[in-house]
Amino acid sequence: MVSKTITPALPDKIITGKEAGLVLCAECYKVHRYIPDAEQECRCCGAELYQRKPDSINRTWAFLIASMILYIPVNTMMIMNVAYFGTDEPSTIMGGVILLLQMGSHAVAFVVFVASVLVPLFKMIGIMLILFSLKYKVNMTDRQRIKMFRFIEFIGRWSMLDIFVVSILAALVHITGVAEITAGPAATAFGTVVVLTMLAASSFDTRLLWDYKRKNYKNIELNQEPAAD
Amino acid sequence: MQVVVTGRSQVINSRILLCHECDLLIENQEICETCKVQCPRCGHVLYKQKHNTISRSLAYALTALICFYPAVTQPIMILEMLGLSQQQSLISGSLILLREKYYVVAILTFLSSCLVPLFRLLLLTYVTLSITLNYYHKSLIWSFRLFHEMEEWGMLEVYMLGIIVAVVKLLSMAEIQPGFGLWAYAALLLSSILATTALNPHEVWDALLDRKTREEPC
Ligand SMILES: [Zn+2]
Ligand SMILES: [Zn+2]
Repeated sequence: MVSKTITPALPDKIITGKEAGLVLCAECYKVHRYIPDAEQECRCCGAELYQRKPDSINRTWAFLIASMILYIPVNTMMIMNVAYFGTDEPSTIMGGVILLLQMGSHAVAFVVFVASVLVPLFKMIGIMLILFSLKYKVNMTDRQRIKMFRFIEFIGRWSMLDIFVVSILAALVHITGVAEITAGPAATAFGTVVVLTMLAASSFDTRLLWDYKRKNYKNIELNQEPAAD
Repeated sequence: MQVVVTGRSQVINSRILLCHECDLLIENQEICETCKVQCPRCGHVLYKQKHNTISRSLAYALTALICFYPAVTQPIMILEMLGLSQQQSLISGSLILLREKYYVVAILTFLSSCLVPLFRLLLLTYVTLSITLNYYHKSLIWSFRLFHEMEEWGMLEVYMLGIIVAVVKLLSMAEIQPGFGLWAYAALLLSSILATTALNPHEVWDALLDRKTREEPC
């Protein structure tokens, strides 16, 4: 089935739902009239209604800083130990990538490097950049910011890869005295980092990206803001 | 209760659209039965009109549920080394990590690769089957909300990649054979992806709230 994509014209006067006193239910897409200073619940689906996610920036910072601190043990401690005929061979995340390279599996080494090193780094730095760009009005267009955020949200879950690899290997290679793979403390730290960065992304309200822009134009009369981009 | 509701359906009734991602207000948007409406400011898809997605999604969800049983109970991979063989299944990894006291890793693995996907499939089947059979109960509303909220915590596809990486890592060390569980897991992954991509949540909400309003207006 082919469906046509319609992009309505950007209105001359940009008005947001918040300014119009409306609120969108995040669950069932119904539009409601917003009641200030009251706890409001969607009568259709029962979800809590809020014009902006409560305390969004602070929560995002909190999850982000926690994940950055935990990211240090992730890289310095061992993520798994391979005991092969009595000799221990502990490895860190980077060690695992290098081992794969030495084995000649370049493609898999690349995938693991992207998922466990690049993705978490990109995600933490990206969220931080977005938060800073809002605070210090860095020159970045709204489209760039929203694209970056959507990308961050999309890639985040793939960093669980190393956690799954460790748990699969630990289950599969379990012959006592011959070959045994066990998890290391970095696995716990890494799992927590992945969860924390996912929570950081989900507590960020993308609508703030546009609100801040309007605050910059505070002196201009509200509805006369030129069309963004 | 301090609730006032004005606009009803986002597109069909009130003709007021609010963008979920940038809160832009769009009035008097023309209604089009086969269109996809996109936000002019941020590019987010505001509305998708797709018909008959519910029964298709139900079929895929049932297929996925059937695949779930062998995917969990049958071995995914079998390792052979010095005449000894070792089997790995979807939950054995979590069990071993639990025994080694890696609680966070064990629970995280179990939740994201097994429990959340299973629970989401059950919720999806419950909702789509009820709509198909024209049955209504108020638990359907929170079931579908829960289904939506748990979306990013189900990670079947990441686990599949994990299996591939694990195989490559072990190639030099031992002989590995795929078990029946692997094929079941692949089928489960495919049908659950199809079940979610085939579904249009707008259509589900329309159907659910239609039935709800027969009992109490919303
Ligand atoms: Zn709602
Ligand atoms: Zn938008």
